[in-house]
Amino acid sequence: MPLLNEEITAQVKEQLSDLEGPVRLVMFTQEFECQFCAETRQLVEEIAALSDHVTAEVYDFVADQNRAAEWSIDKIPAIAVIGAQDDGVRFYGIPSGYEFTSFLHAIKTVSSGRAELSTEGVQALAELSEPVHIQVFVTPTCPYCPPAVMLAHQMAISSPMVRADMIEATEFPHLAIKYEVMGVPRTVINETTHVEGAAPEPMVLEKLQEAVQGA
Amino acid sequence: MFDFKLTPSLQETQQETEKTRGRVYDLIVLGGGPAGLTAAIYAGRARVDTLVLAGSLPGGQPANTDVVDNFPGFPEGLEGPELVRRFQSQAERFGCQIELEEVVEVDFFSRPFTVRTHRATYQALAVIVATGASPRRLGVPGEDKFFGRGVSACATCDGFFYRDKRVAVVGGGDSAVIEALFLTRFAREVVIIHRRDELRATQIYQEQAFANPKIRVAWDTVVEEVLGDQTVSGVRVRNVKTGEMETIEVDGVFIYVGMDPKTELFAGQLDLDEWGYIVSDHRQRTNVPGVFAAGDVQDPLYRQVVVAAGTGAVAAMEVEKFLGEYPKSRIDKDVSTACCETEL
Ligand SMILES: Cc1cc2nc3c(=O)[nH]c(=O)nc-3n(C[C@H](O)[C@H](O)[C@H](O)COP(=O)(O)OP(=O)(O)OC[C@H]3O[C@@H](n4cnc5c(N)ncnc54)[C@H](O)[C@@H]3O)c2cc1C
Repeated sequence: MPLLNEEITAQVKEQLSDLEGPVRLVMFTQEFECQFCAETRQLVEEIAALSDHVTAEVYDFVADQNRAAEWSIDKIPAIAVIGAQDDGVRFYGIPSGYEFTSFLHAIKTVSSGRAELSTEGVQALAELSEPVHIQVFVTPTCPYCPPAVMLAHQMAISSPMVRADMIEATEFPHLAIKYEVMGVPRTVINETTHVEGAAPEPMVLEKLQEAVQGA
Repeated sequence: MFDFKLTPSLQETQQETEKTRGRVYDLIVLGGGPAGLTAAIYAGRARVDTLVLAGSLPGGQPANTDVVDNFPGFPEGLEGPELVRRFQSQAERFGCQIELEEVVEVDFFSRPFTVRTHRATYQALAVIVATGASPRRLGVPGEDKFFGRGVSACATCDGFFYRDKRVAVVGGGDSAVIEALFLTRFAREVVIIHRRDELRATQIYQEQAFANPKIRVAWDTVVEEVLGDQTVSGVRVRNVKTGEMETIEVDGVFIYVGMDPKTELFAGQLDLDEWGYIVSDHRQRTNVPGVFAAGDVQDPLYRQVVVAAGTGAVAAMEVEKFLGEYPKSRIDKDVSTACCETEL
């Protein structure tokens, strides 16, 4: 049974019809022991089938350890959304529910290579001299979450210093506990700094700079 | 078991941002909910050059609503996100540009009107304000500190984090009781804190709540403070009849005490009523000619999708009329005097 129904399939097809450049969905799964690995894999394959520009590559987290390290994948299910180069856009856990919107957005943005940020934002990110890791915790039932995920991914696309993960909290409860997630979206920057809610770009930037300076 | 929502936020118009600089739109719609999107459908169809700034909740409140059961034309009901996604496709079909930006400042004193977001400054001859409503806060100590970390206004988002924990739900209306019932899937105990001695919620929800062993109600009770050090440890409450104070130990607090119109941005420029709603007439006009209001932002009474859509349509038709009377070339010179004299 396909995961995407006919109607959604048609919409996705239409959304992906004007992709500018190729996109690789590099997916890591495992033979056993991963809650939604099978579905995530199926999702990636169904989407790749809807556009000539999108390809799915499926790897085994254990057997292809080196590849996982190469893409800095440390948990599964994982999807790296790769355009002309690796911008550091990752999804951990299945991007279902509201996060499906973030997922398609990532494909489109990575394909064009153009992030939509303010001029000040682009400038601030260009000045970064240290790596920044953004983790956005979400649940699939959270309508406020996609804006936070999309913003983080745009920052990753805009700057080679930034990588950004969506983390589906219900699939990684230990991380939710580790990062004290009691509400979503919660954006964790470089392990230490965090932002609650779908904060606007300037606020996230400020926190990002705080995180870099604090380090 | 999985669903895949394509919410309106998907639409990106990256190339067009460049085009917008220095351009004066006919119309800017503030808000991407039912009212704003319907206004956009009507305006776009009438070939009014329209920009929609949809803010952080594209689709508006229905994007956060399970099922909308009473929107005509959908006899089986429809998922909220799907309903507003359709609103948006329709607006796009008529050529409206939709951006996900949050408006942070407006200037309705000079023309063309100016609208600022974090990303850009936009100008237009006419504006429709459709920023809707957002959940009301309690306004007690501790609430802000813990918002997003133990205090929440979205049970469907955050319920998961309260598995086997105790939570409080503040409020007594439909939303409070529905969400309290939802939270029993996760939480070990749910305390509804309500300031009166009976619930306002629909009878069937009340019956379900009273029959649920995980739910208890603290009657005649108001929250005075959210307590906790690193995380929420409880709420300090007061009985409004006896004045007695008490601490209820909980790990999370969900607030459902109604909605407030989102009008802070417009204070001092648009007339607001004592509850903060924009004052508009039956043609959706505000006190500033050329600025119209539609949907929940000006509706303390009905607050329904179909009503929001209806007022959005009216506002757009009025904009068309306004633009016809004051075309671009004349607007600077004439409108501030001529139209204000006739309108007020
Ligand atoms: C849980 C729930 C269930 C409901 N169920 C029903 C139902 O079954 N049937 C029914 O008819 N009605 C229902 N309603 C009410 C209905 O959703 C609202 O009446 C309707 O959404 C109002 O539409 P609106 O466009 O005026 O505002 P909203 O839906 O509130 O939309 C406001 C829009 O403005 C945007 N915005 C806000 N501030 C800014 C800013 N500064 N800059 C840019 N954009 C901004 C937001 O992002 C959003 O897109 C329900 C509401 C809730 C909360």
